[in-house]
Amino acid sequence: MQSAICQSAAGMSFFSAQGFVGLIFLVTIGLIIAGAFVATTSTRLVRCISGLAVCFTGVAGAYYFLLAPFVAMMQMLIYVGAVSILIAFAIMMATPEEGDTPGKKITRFSGPLGFAVSAMAFAALSLLAATTDWQVFAREGSGDMHHIGMVLLTSHSMVFELVSIVLLVAIMGALVIARRGRD
Amino acid sequence: MSEYISDVIGGSKSLLVGLSITAREFFKPVVTEQYPWVVPEMTERFRGHIELIRDEKTGKPKCIVCGMCMRSCPSGCISLAGKKPEGEKKKALTKYHLDFTTCSLCGTCIESCNFGAIQFSNEYNLASTRKEDYIFDLLKRLEEQG
Amino acid sequence: MDTNIWRPILYLIGFMAFAGINAAYLGWCERKGAGRIQRRTGPMEVGFQGLLQPLADGLKLMSKQLLVPDGVDSILFRVAPILAMIPALTSMAVIPFAGNVQARAVELSVLLIFALASIGMMAVLLGGWASGNKYSLISAARSVSQNLAYEIPMLVTVITIVMLTGSMNLEEIAAAQQGGFWNWNIFPVASHSLAQAIIMPVSFIIFFICSVAETNRAPFDMAEAESELIAGHMTEYGSMGFGLFMMGEYLNMVVGACLITILFLGGWDGPLGLSGGIWWFLVKIYLLLFTVIWVRWTYPRTQIYKLLNLSWKILIPFSLVNLLLTAAFIKVF
Repeated sequence: MQSAICQSAAGMSFFSAQGFVGLIFLVTIGLIIAGAFVATTSTRLVRCISGLAVCFTGVAGAYYFLLAPFVAMMQMLIYVGAVSILIAFAIMMATPEEGDTPGKKITRFSGPLGFAVSAMAFAALSLLAATTDWQVFAREGSGDMHHIGMVLLTSHSMVFELVSIVLLVAIMGALVIARRGRD
Repeated sequence: MSEYISDVIGGSKSLLVGLSITAREFFKPVVTEQYPWVVPEMTERFRGHIELIRDEKTGKPKCIVCGMCMRSCPSGCISLAGKKPEGEKKKALTKYHLDFTTCSLCGTCIESCNFGAIQFSNEYNLASTRKEDYIFDLLKRLEEQG
Repeated sequence: MDTNIWRPILYLIGFMAFAGINAAYLGWCERKGAGRIQRRTGPMEVGFQGLLQPLADGLKLMSKQLLVPDGVDSILFRVAPILAMIPALTSMAVIPFAGNVQARAVELSVLLIFALASIGMMAVLLGGWASGNKYSLISAARSVSQNLAYEIPMLVTVITIVMLTGSMNLEEIAAAQQGGFWNWNIFPVASHSLAQAIIMPVSFIIFFICSVAETNRAPFDMAEAESELIAGHMTEYGSMGFGLFMMGEYLNMVVGACLITILFLGGWDGPLGLSGGIWWFLVKIYLLLFTVIWVRWTYPRTQIYKLLNLSWKILIPFSLVNLLLTAAFIKVF
């Protein structure tokens, strides 16, 4: 499938099967960018979340093109299905705070500072992208569930353990917040 | 813990009972009547508007035109008339009108009739948009019934 | 890849027809079934036994104006009904109706269906929010908390099945259960062990309850509780906006029934070792759909708190115990 993309980029007919795949790839990238744009620029929180969900869907598509279908599905299930919805749920449950809130003041430095920070981030990322020696790694395993399971519990078990610790901390934090004042 | 388990078992049991009840109802015959296509027979004691009773021997109404029903009616919705035909002793009915718009189906007319000449009919298809349709000519109705 | 591209497209057209007919006629079955259970007849006037009633309803919905009220979020309001319909339709692409009747063989089809189902939840959420209506918002909040609660036991139960089969491919899961009901995952006494066969019916019931809850069907229809929330997230929708929500609901029912059939009832396998085929699959899904309709007209709607308690206090512990026992049995036997 990856070779298909390369071929379509090299001037294959847009109406061939490869061209179709290329089109889907472009749609995927478009989803990521459009979703991110909506998520960052919209003034309505629910539209932001919808943009985020669209962006996550696009990322799932990108994972699929990277030959990691399991990660793609998990991206959909966890990020689109659970994370976005949990954020939406949190917004619904939270009381809307109108007016000035401390720490949210917009000064005349806000714009230039924000621009400077994002410019720096952009410069760093583009520098990284430009200087990296991009090479296609030999495909390791099939990227499916079985392979991921084997890798996670053998050579990459450290990641697995770290993830469990992160989850444990998250659960503890949730308990602390939820039980505050209830003893 | 034992309470929890008995709760689960008892709950599941009651759910099954509910399902079995609806399953049984599912196979019972339908009670809906397809009214305009299938016209149901009214029960005997249904109180429709009043009607005259025919005398089986003569084929004429049993009514002797005494006017008791007209006088007893609280709403005054019965109007009747009669005259003696040539060479007969009794009066014969010539007109018997019922104004159904004011009738409350109380049945006092039937009780006051000493000759058993009127009764409640089984008529219920009485919908109309015109008031005049509810002035019933009961004598004509009796003749039409043949 | 070159020629195969037409296969999914042709299947998609077929599925759309299948979906449309199902959505229309499940509505008819629902009304007829409700009628019979209450000893009525259901629709009778349009066509023989009311068979053309869905057509009349569809024409009526399509000919109405697509009204967008003032004060709604105009984009999300229009997107939500489409989102309700698409996941169910897309999930059908990976469902194996018989040995080789499948639009697209995907290795992780179980996961794909659940990933798509989570988008359906988004539809209710967005529809409820975008309507700008208190009742719709309550409905959205309820439906999200309910779906989150019932997704957990559902997924845990699916993991049990995946462990038994060792695959996330629906076709392989169904193929592993061929040869009579004693091989089916609901009672795998021959294919696995008697101990496994004793706990699997519990898994089946958990999965069935969860799939009824996930499709927002009564008695779990807290999201559209008519008596308290008018119609919940669908309140502000008219014409085909409402129509798409309804079709999405019925299609989700169909997908749920397909999933139960494949995961627990042997897919297209005939009981008692009869030769299998797509007809067995259809018989099974329609029996399941009838059960769902039957359940709807039997039980009253409960409270949202009791609903969540059922999931968190009963279904999740039971499904986790089942998962642990299954893991142990796979090791032992």
